Amino acid sequence: MMTYIVFILSVIFVVSFVGFSSKPSPIYGGLVLIVSGGVGCGIIMNFGGSFLGLMVFLIYLGGMLVVFGYTTAMATEQYPEVWVSNTTVMGVFLLGLLMEVMLVLYVLKSEEVGVVFEFSGVGDWAIYDTGDSGVFSEEIMGVAALYSYGAWVVIVTGWSLFVGVLVILEVTRGD
Amino acid sequence: MNPLIFTTILMTVLLGTMIVMMSSHWLMIWIGFEMNLLAIIPILMKKYNPRTMEASTKYFLTQATASMLLMMAIIINLMHSGQWTITKIFNPTASIIMTSALAMKLGLTPFHFWVPEVTQGISLTSGLILLTWQKLAPMSILYQISPSINLNILLTMAVLSILVGGWGGLNQTQLRKIMAYSSIAHMGWMTAVLVYNPTLTMLNMLIYIMMTLTMFMLFIHSSSTTTLSLSHTWNKTPLTTTLILITLLSMGGLPPLSGFMPKWMIIQELTKNSSIILPTLMAIMALLNLYFYMRLTYSTSLTMFPSTNNMKMKWQFETKRITLLPPLIVMSSLLLPLTPMLSILD
Repeated sequence: MMTYIVFILSVIFVVSFVGFSSKPSPIYGGLVLIVSGGVGCGIIMNFGGSFLGLMVFLIYLGGMLVVFGYTTAMATEQYPEVWVSNTTVMGVFLLGLLMEVMLVLYVLKSEEVGVVFEFSGVGDWAIYDTGDSGVFSEEIMGVAALYSYGAWVVIVTGWSLFVGVLVILEVTRGD
Repeated sequence: MNPLIFTTILMTVLLGTMIVMMSSHWLMIWIGFEMNLLAIIPILMKKYNPRTMEASTKYFLTQATASMLLMMAIIINLMHSGQWTITKIFNPTASIIMTSALAMKLGLTPFHFWVPEVTQGISLTSGLILLTWQKLAPMSILYQISPSINLNILLTMAVLSILVGGWGGLNQTQLRKIMAYSSIAHMGWMTAVLVYNPTLTMLNMLIYIMMTLTMFMLFIHSSSTTTLSLSHTWNKTPLTTTLILITLLSMGGLPPLSGFMPKWMIIQELTKNSSIILPTLMAIMALLNLYFYMRLTYSTSLTMFPSTNNMKMKWQFETKRITLLPPLIVMSSLLLPLTPMLSILD
């Protein structure tokens, strides 16, 4: 099972995306987002990015999702929609689930999957521990490069986030 | 809105487009598009009524979907070429997805449905920014990937846009919707020649922006958003009726005016590439556009449109000062003799 752990985690990832895209109330959407964030963290860690996985948990789940949860709690409705309360939500959820199941069966059964890029069976999903990058781990070097060669990216992203906050406050302020 | 915040947000819109136009890394281009989208939302929502909110929401949803498609195309391109530089796209699927994403951002058929509704719901100045500045960024990306765009898809979208832009504008009396359909048609003309000679796309974009800027300035000057209120301009500022006449005829592409230049060049370029039916069709469908511009000029400058008697003796506050209106009007009507200068654009 451990060789196919990335495949299994990616299936859970897609299913949780289907879970919140079928639009229950934001509270339940946030719940499933937490699950998908945790699973995404697991996928990143399996590729060797322990630092980035920690980033996902800390900043994404612990920062942004918590703020999202608090604001949604402030704007709660009396009868929030669950996946089973509304036929439309249930229908969309089941449809997404069905599509994912069919895709998984396609990947498992056939020798080669060629949608836009090719997989050859489930073997492609396994991560082998070859190609060791030596003493330095790749993703720490990536983060270091972000702050040295990629200074412009940091400036642009930082400004985007700042303007994002400005825009959100401006839009909610109203008159 | 607080002037400091408004300036910051406006500058961020400019910064977003600049980042899109000057980046060489696909990820930065995507970030530029997102920054542009995020910052223009409060500008669209300057007045707080349900129409602007609905328009901003529609704009946000369609543009966010287009950004997602763009990201998908970027990633597929990455998987097939292994690099992030802006050159032609190395995979036909990615090229088709990216063309669709940029068509959604521009408002080409079949993704044109948001343009009239969003333009109608926002104020005239916001509509101006939406229809002119926001077209620059996607067009610059289309220009850069033009060697690898699927010709069939792009030409289909272009011809359908000219059709929809012409036919859709026929039943409109609201000026903003008329300008929106005009924008759809002009985008169609621009993308039709993109694969053959991208310089002409840029020429058409330039002249279209000048003409649309002029039209919007004239509308803002007379504070009119419907054909009916535009037809009262003879009473307020008689000079602007003539200017509206000239600029509208220029937008329709009539020969002695500068709006004829891009259409002429585009038809010439298309016939040089041995396609004759296509430019004929495009020229005929541009007549639909001309018809509703002519209807506007008829009701505004050529006749005294029927109105109640108290409308014939209007008083108004002090005339607004619109910057740059005279040079804009001159540029949008008298540039045709400068056509030989096109050779410097190479």
